[in-house]
Amino acid sequence: MSVRLLALIPVAVAINLALSAAVDAVGLPLFLDTTGTILATALAGPVVGIATGALTSAVNSLRNPTFWPFVVVQVLVALYAWGAARAGWFRSLAVAVPAGLVLGVLAAVTSTPISYLIFKCATTGGIALTTKLGQLLGLSDLGACFFGSFVSDFADKAVTFALVTTVLHALPRRTAARFPLALRAIGRSAA
Amino acid sequence: MRALHPFTLIGIALALPALAWLLPFAWGGLAPMCLALALCVGAGTRGESGFGVLRAALLTAAPFWFFLFLLHGIAGMLTTAPRLTTMIASFLWLVAVLPPARLVEAMIAAGWPSSAAFLLSATLSAVPALRERARRIVDAQRCRGLPTRGGPLTRIAALRALALPLVLSALHEVDERALALETRGFSGSVRRTPLAPPPDPAAERLVRWGLLLGCLGLLVWRIV
Repeated sequence: MSVRLLALIPVAVAINLALSAAVDAVGLPLFLDTTGTILATALAGPVVGIATGALTSAVNSLRNPTFWPFVVVQVLVALYAWGAARAGWFRSLAVAVPAGLVLGVLAAVTSTPISYLIFKCATTGGIALTTKLGQLLGLSDLGACFFGSFVSDFADKAVTFALVTTVLHALPRRTAARFPLALRAIGRSAA
Repeated sequence: MRALHPFTLIGIALALPALAWLLPFAWGGLAPMCLALALCVGAGTRGESGFGVLRAALLTAAPFWFFLFLLHGIAGMLTTAPRLTTMIASFLWLVAVLPPARLVEAMIAAGWPSSAAFLLSATLSAVPALRERARRIVDAQRCRGLPTRGGPLTRIAALRALALPLVLSALHEVDERALALETRGFSGSVRRTPLAPPPDPAAERLVRWGLLLGCLGLLVWRIV
């Protein structure tokens, strides 16, 4: 791995963990904790993305270890983002937002068994309350757990994909060209 | 405890939650939890009380007890909450007793590539710096009159105005970091010599193997 890609990983992890300040400021029910993972993958490929995701979960676990089991979701996000970058799905918001919605469904499907088996669906406050709502609507425990994960992931991943698309398009072309996948991700070819 | 080798400390922090899940209810959950909480109390230094670590563990675990009670009643709460509390307390104990620099030294001494040690130390220093920058950007944009409240579209527009400068400035930093590493002749594949490698006595290695084999044995026993 080149020194540039190695230097990208800590910065991408920090992006994952620092964006919560911006989310808190606007008061939206979002996490945006996979932004750095998706961005790193779109710039540099799946190895950098998976390393970013795993390191994010590890650093998050130092504050709250219940984040660690969800490292699987970070790996899934990196692999999906790699496919999205190769297919040029970051070329416009009209393509990126639906791609993010699909990722939201996949992330919910992946996180539901972890949440159900380890935490009995009592992860964060918002998810636990949505799961309770699912139970009150008559869903089974597993169904209510999926409902909670789905509600939290669906919009979050769409906004994350939109944000990464905006960042990739705002990058100076010279900077983007230094990363192996960046230009392909936004549907442009290297000059 | 702080004098133990970093890998032994990590082994204990991993073994306690593993035991909490593998041992049958009810003592299986309660005994490792009590042990982990006791370790937290003993994690104090001369300047700080170990009760600070215990308080952090209990405050982190408390919402899980509440939500488990809300979703599954008292029986469900008593089955799962002690296990989650064990996981939380043992990791927070680990963070309290293991300085990252000591872990990096141990990784280098054990022959890990220097890139792994770089990733750990660089990430731990980058996260607080970028969080601080995020706070400054939020304050600066608010001073300029950015509306951060209102309808969803207004909030999403505000989020873009807050997140974009943060992410772009962070990416700009990648070039500077790469240049600094190249200037110092950094290469991820070269083995470095640790300055002060933590001692790793045979007894501690034996304990680590014992913890691993014990957990594997329990897993087999529970499956069979």
